[in-house]
Amino acid sequence: MKKFFVVLAVALMAAVLFCGCTEKKDELVVGMELAYPPFETKDEQGKPYGVSVALAEALGEYLGKPVRIENINWDGLIPSLETGRVDLVISSMTITEERAKTVDFSAPYAHAYLALLVNKNSPVEKVEDLNHPERIVAVKKGTTGHVYAQNHLQHATINALSAESACVTEVIQGKADAFIYDQLTIYRQNQANPENTRAVLIPFQESEKWGIAVKKGNKKLLEQINAFLKDFRAAGGFEKLTELFLAEEKKTFDALGFPWFFE
Amino acid sequence: MKKYTTCLKQIISVVLVVIILVGFVWISLLRINHRLDFTTLWGYRYRLWQGFKMTLIMAFASLFVSLFIGSVAAVAQKAKFLTVSYLAKFYVQVIRGTPLLVQIFFFFYIIGTAWGVDNRYVAGVLILSLFEGAYIAEIIRGGLESIDRQQFELAKAVGLTPAKTFRLVTFPLLMARILPALTGQFASIIKDSSLLSVIAIPELTQITQEISADNYRLFENYFFLGLLYFVMTFTVSLITRRLERKYKHENSSE
Repeated sequence: MKKFFVVLAVALMAAVLFCGCTEKKDELVVGMELAYPPFETKDEQGKPYGVSVALAEALGEYLGKPVRIENINWDGLIPSLETGRVDLVISSMTITEERAKTVDFSAPYAHAYLALLVNKNSPVEKVEDLNHPERIVAVKKGTTGHVYAQNHLQHATINALSAESACVTEVIQGKADAFIYDQLTIYRQNQANPENTRAVLIPFQESEKWGIAVKKGNKKLLEQINAFLKDFRAAGGFEKLTELFLAEEKKTFDALGFPWFFE
Repeated sequence: MKKYTTCLKQIISVVLVVIILVGFVWISLLRINHRLDFTTLWGYRYRLWQGFKMTLIMAFASLFVSLFIGSVAAVAQKAKFLTVSYLAKFYVQVIRGTPLLVQIFFFFYIIGTAWGVDNRYVAGVLILSLFEGAYIAEIIRGGLESIDRQQFELAKAVGLTPAKTFRLVTFPLLMARILPALTGQFASIIKDSSLLSVIAIPELTQITQEISADNYRLFENYFFLGLLYFVMTFTVSLITRRLERKYKHENSSE
């Protein structure tokens, strides 16, 4: 009798385990890290919301497939492409040679510059001032800010944190002299913390191009994405996105004379 | 003849277990088409070694500080001055009842900044010790309460001073009882130190995350990370098994 129950339990477990292997639905799975407003974030109900989400849904419409957004932390995005957990990644990811070794990128759809969020009491005026043994730089792990710091700021102490909010907090509290991140976020954070921070928005390197990443070798999807981007741009899709999500920022960038993301 | 067959049975079982576990991981890797390449870790060996040392330093420092905090908290719970007793009880309940991640952010970015603890290594050790101290306090308290009242009465009858009672009676008995739990706690300290990566302390987990951000080889990196942690905790458990044997002998009169 006991043996019967054991066999039954094992059979049930096996059945449940194999139920996990369902057939693949015909949907477009898009990976992004929903921690980067206003590009990738969540609305009050916790649903994905932002520029990249809207772009993903426009792509889904173009391809005639439903879109499913997967929220994946930054370091897991490229591995998720490799293992097939997602079909593509739209996460404001900069196209770099290093990343292009592991994944294929679409044509660039936006470009951004790095900027500095500096603590008010820090003597740092420009990025070169950071390359000094007494300076402390906060960066987010795995971002181009992190790469820049590793390549150009060898004398400084580099603290690589996992969350953008932690980096900003460290600058505000004076635990770091500066946070290296994209212009737009730096501008927003400076606006939110005028008493403790300064922003150095002047570009100090070539602009970084953002691209959509697909698994290496997925030529078909890549061609479809590039065709979509061409159409979308021609139809004024990017202007619509700017209007919806980035109206304030566009005004400021225009006033400061900085080139806009989608040009 | 019987001994030979049981020994053979054991060896076969061990081999089978290894095959099942390795086989499972192997098949999982095949399913996601991942090509293993552990040589990618070799280029990072200097940073990994630095991270390994940092984890050991943080864990050891926290061990001593948490033992101190735990002992104080355990004794303070029995204090006659009610505020002290309640403070200790509150500390133990709250620290044990909240996640370490929450405590790290709260104590580093709020309390630490407010009271000028800016050095993140010092802060890291203090936060980890505060966390583990609460668990150690409970272990010590449980150990103390499990000692038969008779032992203390006998000590008094024989004429031992409180200090001598502690040295010759309480301490050895306590050690014998709590040593297994304490080792478990030290292994926890080693593993929990990995969470200090969120404040960018360059210990092993932080280094591994930075390497992963560089080369995207999550499987090789995290497998190796797990292996290193296991080496540390297993060494600890081997050492304490010898310590346990030592204290068991001293108390064989039980």
